[in-house]
Amino acid sequence: MYPFGRLPDNLAAFAGVMRRDHAFRTGPGELVDAARALEIVDLHDQRAVRDALRPVLCSTPGDVEVFDEAFTAFFFRGPVGVPQPDRKNVPRRDREQGEVGEDRRAESRPSEPDADAATDDRPEAVEIPADTPDSADSTPAVAMQMVHASYSPLRALGRTSIAVAPAGTEWHAAARALVRRLELGLSRRWVPARTGLRFDLRRTLRASLQTGGEPVGPRWRRRQRRVPRFVVLVDGSRSMSDAAGIAMTLAAAVASVTPRIEVFTFSTALQRVTRDVRRAAAGGPVTIESERETWGGGTSIGACLRACLRTPDGRRIGRDTVVIIASDGLDVGEPDTLRAAMNDLKSRAAGVVWLNPLLETPGYEPTSRGMRVARPFISTFSSVRDAAGLARLARHVRLR
Amino acid sequence: MMDAATIRARFRDHAFIVDDGFATALQVMLALDKPMLVEGPAGVGKTERAKVLAEALDTRLIRLQCYEGLDATSALYEWNYPRQMLRARLSETTGTSLEEREAQIFGEAFLLKRPLLEAITEDRAPVLLIDEVDRADEAFEAFLLEMLAEWQVTIPELGTIRAKHRPHVILTSNRTRELSDALRRRCLYLWVPYPTLEQEIEILRVRVPGLSERLADRIAGLMQVLRGLPLQKAPGVAESLDWAMALMSLHREQLDARTLQQTLGCVLKVHEDYAVIDAHRLAIDAVLQGGSSPLEAGGYSLDTDFGFGSVSPRR
Repeated sequence: MYPFGRLPDNLAAFAGVMRRDHAFRTGPGELVDAARALEIVDLHDQRAVRDALRPVLCSTPGDVEVFDEAFTAFFFRGPVGVPQPDRKNVPRRDREQGEVGEDRRAESRPSEPDADAATDDRPEAVEIPADTPDSADSTPAVAMQMVHASYSPLRALGRTSIAVAPAGTEWHAAARALVRRLELGLSRRWVPARTGLRFDLRRTLRASLQTGGEPVGPRWRRRQRRVPRFVVLVDGSRSMSDAAGIAMTLAAAVASVTPRIEVFTFSTALQRVTRDVRRAAAGGPVTIESERETWGGGTSIGACLRACLRTPDGRRIGRDTVVIIASDGLDVGEPDTLRAAMNDLKSRAAGVVWLNPLLETPGYEPTSRGMRVARPFISTFSSVRDAAGLARLARHVRLR
Repeated sequence: MMDAATIRARFRDHAFIVDDGFATALQVMLALDKPMLVEGPAGVGKTERAKVLAEALDTRLIRLQCYEGLDATSALYEWNYPRQMLRARLSETTGTSLEEREAQIFGEAFLLKRPLLEAITEDRAPVLLIDEVDRADEAFEAFLLEMLAEWQVTIPELGTIRAKHRPHVILTSNRTRELSDALRRRCLYLWVPYPTLEQEIEILRVRVPGLSERLADRIAGLMQVLRGLPLQKAPGVAESLDWAMALMSLHREQLDARTLQQTLGCVLKVHEDYAVIDAHRLAIDAVLQGGSSPLEAGGYSLDTDFGFGSVSPRR
């Protein structure tokens, strides 16, 4: 029944499978711990073994989610000759996909208040049957339903890609200025400083050792500056096709200055592209391949913002987070959804910066429905077309 | 060495219901002598678990509450400077030698032990609870890593202090910030989900002794439905206990729509959530009327994470 005859071999093989198929971080250390954990539990009790291995091998909520299924699939595959679930059908996962996957489930919950309005939130519905075990018995009728559920008259077909130009030195300097200029106030942490508010007795006494026990120079402490965190949301709809590239370059420039950044693209659905942007920030042009559903269709900004707020990264939007939204504000979703999402965003984040490429057009007034709804919640409304534009933004940005 | 069944029984003695997964995890943690990182939605009793563990092991609980700006001096140790200076002044004229005075001033009497040092110098292995580690900043997390690996502290004036017994460490996190991989790798990991319907009924019975069975069923059933709704702040176990207490003290034997309206403040802590409740009135009324289980009533999935269903550890 088991792949190998001896327990250690099976354990090693299991750890290997978890590492390969589910992106677990199991090294030799975890393997030794797992073996020690098995020593203390009753090996005949399947549940006990599973409960003992879970805390050792898992390290994130995502890991816990796939562990039990993978455990059963590996150790209890059933006798030979009996039809059994295909190995391929156990959902595979890598780090980045895992997080997006969490969105998917959140998105497709039946209890969403405006589930009908947000039907185009769930474009991945077509793909889900392909990698869940349930798909084994999916009938054509179910498949048809899925196709219907994902249908939207506004969605563009085919894959689109966007080239992120490497951020040059001007971009880099402008992004650095932006990070420096964002005033978030002071952190609670006290750091040593030449001048400050608080007398540092400890360091003063330490320093007095050099001067024969006589404290000559006082030492001070002051509060540290809070470092901003960024969440960049780039609109990928057709109307934004040129501006999206610029916004991505901006994101890459900021990513080259600070590691505290998360980047998403959205149009009818949300996609996390932080990894690609970091790669772009490290040098070299990167093409962001977007799923056809998330790129080049109509935009439901509100639903996507809400989805973003529910991802693990979105949850971390807090007092230190500056949210940058690059969008033309042409929204096809419900205005109420957008208003609620913007309100939530504003109350949680340090500030919302909205970059609208249409502002460059002479005579443009932000009177489109989406823009009108979002406007009261925006702290800085601007546009960035090049590095100089970002430098200008850095000078004028306001958070409150 | 305690096995899982003993741990469960001990926790039960302290009026705390835990599942097999948690008990086995604790057993592994005690055997492997590794810290355990406990994550889960707010209000499922993460902190309480550490407290009860200390009682069950009959040892001290030392708690380090993390916050933004927590640094090594408030977590580890600090010299009592004012007292040292005072002593130095007072002993100037006593005629003792310099060495003696120095040894006095840098003695343990002038050392202010903070939680981490306290945990190390304890005679019996204590339970060290590092609460809400996600609130501390990255710099402190790095410091903590070193501490969790070595279990020793070097104080320049006193020398290196090694732990006599390794503390049983429990770290909790509410996931307001992603913890580093390094910290995760050094810890065992446990995800504490909301309790199942049966578990919650049992918890209510054990923690609120006078509660009628019918009311316990209703409260637990309604909680399952509420956690399936898209609330901003989904109610935890703490909320259902509060609620049960409130209903008891109001002498309500029934949970009807009017009582619900009056006592909703025990359960919902965000104003916007009241609107969500109103929108799902039908499902809630179905539970209030009893009969059908919440699963059939609303068809809500019960594996929720913060009310948004992104994590489902067990099916």
